[in-house]
Amino acid sequence: MTVADERTAEAAAGTEPPAEPSRYSLRHPKSRIAWIRPAVWAPLLVMLALLALLWQWGADELPYLLPPLGKIGTSLTAEFGYYVDNALVTLGEAAAGLGMGFAAAFVLAVLTSELPLLRRAVMPIAVVLNVTPLVAIAPALVVAFGFGPLPKLVIAALICFFPILINTAAGLRSVPRQVLQVYRTIDAGRVELLWYVRIPHALPFLFAALRIVLPLSIIGAVVAEMSASGSTRGLGTVISVASSMNQLPVVYASILVLAVMGVLLLLAVTLVERRVLHWHDSTHD
Amino acid sequence: MDGSVKVTGTPALDLRSVRRVYGFGPSATTALDDVHLSVPAGRFVSLIGPSGCGKSTLLRIAAGLEEPDHGTVRVHGVEPAEACAAKMIGLVPQSPALLPWLSVLRNVTLPHKINKGAARRRERIAGNAERAATGAPDMRELLVKAGLGEAMHKLPAQLSGGMRQRAAIVRAFGLRPDVLVMDEPFSALDEFTRESLQDQLLDLWDELETTVLFVTHSVSEAVRLSDTVVVMAPHPGRIVDTVEVDLERPRGDRLFGERRFHEYEDLIRDRLRRAWRSEAA
Repeated sequence: MTVADERTAEAAAGTEPPAEPSRYSLRHPKSRIAWIRPAVWAPLLVMLALLALLWQWGADELPYLLPPLGKIGTSLTAEFGYYVDNALVTLGEAAAGLGMGFAAAFVLAVLTSELPLLRRAVMPIAVVLNVTPLVAIAPALVVAFGFGPLPKLVIAALICFFPILINTAAGLRSVPRQVLQVYRTIDAGRVELLWYVRIPHALPFLFAALRIVLPLSIIGAVVAEMSASGSTRGLGTVISVASSMNQLPVVYASILVLAVMGVLLLLAVTLVERRVLHWHDSTHD
Repeated sequence: MDGSVKVTGTPALDLRSVRRVYGFGPSATTALDDVHLSVPAGRFVSLIGPSGCGKSTLLRIAAGLEEPDHGTVRVHGVEPAEACAAKMIGLVPQSPALLPWLSVLRNVTLPHKINKGAARRRERIAGNAERAATGAPDMRELLVKAGLGEAMHKLPAQLSGGMRQRAAIVRAFGLRPDVLVMDEPFSALDEFTRESLQDQLLDLWDELETTVLFVTHSVSEAVRLSDTVVVMAPHPGRIVDTVEVDLERPRGDRLFGERRFHEYEDLIRDRLRRAWRSEAA
């Protein structure tokens, strides 16, 4: 409920009609312009510099703990294509798994919101599995499905499935009662209610779930790659192979690439989220 | 106004021996007990009474949102469920209940896209063909009339509370409902906004003649708006009195200064008090 309100308020702020930009679009231009002021970016920059110094000091004192930043940099630039290739493999696994988990969770969420019996059967299990660390079954999945991409997809899909299911189901069921009453008095059908009211109402919940599961899907893919000792591709494989050969710069370069990938994905979701909620606002005429 | 109201044989709303009990056993409360109410078409009827008197329950039963445990309910001669299926009922709830992702215009036109088979069903219900044939009014025009012309393409979140509630009223009127049910629609608004919305409600009602069932806890609001004020009392919820408000329309601000207006207010307050006292005794 509160999530939805915040999101819709955000959407409202971001999707103002162009006629009156001054009144409703204060938030975005302001937050963009704000980055010009040193008071906004300087603290972060100082903090990063301090951390880098600390890192370098640690690398000098304990060479087996941390690699020097310079070496990470050289590894990244020298073998940039290698990192990108492996990042794309991991990204592909995570994205495909996320897509599968998303589709299945969405369908099941709609079904449980419409069929109380199914809801009572499924949701308690979903809640328990949602708090279970599902990455732990990665080794078992490797045993079951081998070293190919399949166990990676399955683990990413499984990890994404439950948060999406629970959030979407909550969104579909949280339409305010008075809204439902208005549409009940005109005898709106189930499908009409789903399409025009419940699903759009659940969209902010769905995006909240996406923000949660995006990093999880990458974790799932990486852990599955690490568990499958016979894998040849993916950043998880790169990390486990490099660790076993004491190539710390490669390990940390891969981790850096994974972090950048996560940030980019989150950025993509934010953009899509704005677009989608904007779409709902602007389709009139 | 009075000349144009068609008085047909079947009342717009007809409740007979309606009873509704919530809960079971010793904790059961009788929300409505033996309620009879007949509203001729085109009338503006208010339900007034303290909380727990069953006025909202009565409204929900009339709108087909709840079933009575006993008794019969008819809307233009048919069951409420059938009336809903024919889109004969318009509901304005306490909150505007607008969809936050749709512009005001899309919000008020959405009901036209839903349950499209209703028009046919409505024609088939006797004595209704004429109304059904008029079709949906121009929603843009209606919004302009309600003072929402500028706000048409805005989202509900960009509107004030009063404007949102106006949009909810336009949405209900846009169905050209045979019966408009309103559940304390102005209770969350400030006094100024409330009075201007009362004016606009009367204007729209004047134009799109319909029967209104209006739940309120404000005596002056009831007198100002209604042809008939139904006074209710709790424990068990029941109708204790019916007051016909014989004041000419249109009812402008002038009315507040008139003696007769205050006489009606006093009369209804007196009836409400008497209901309280009889309960205490």
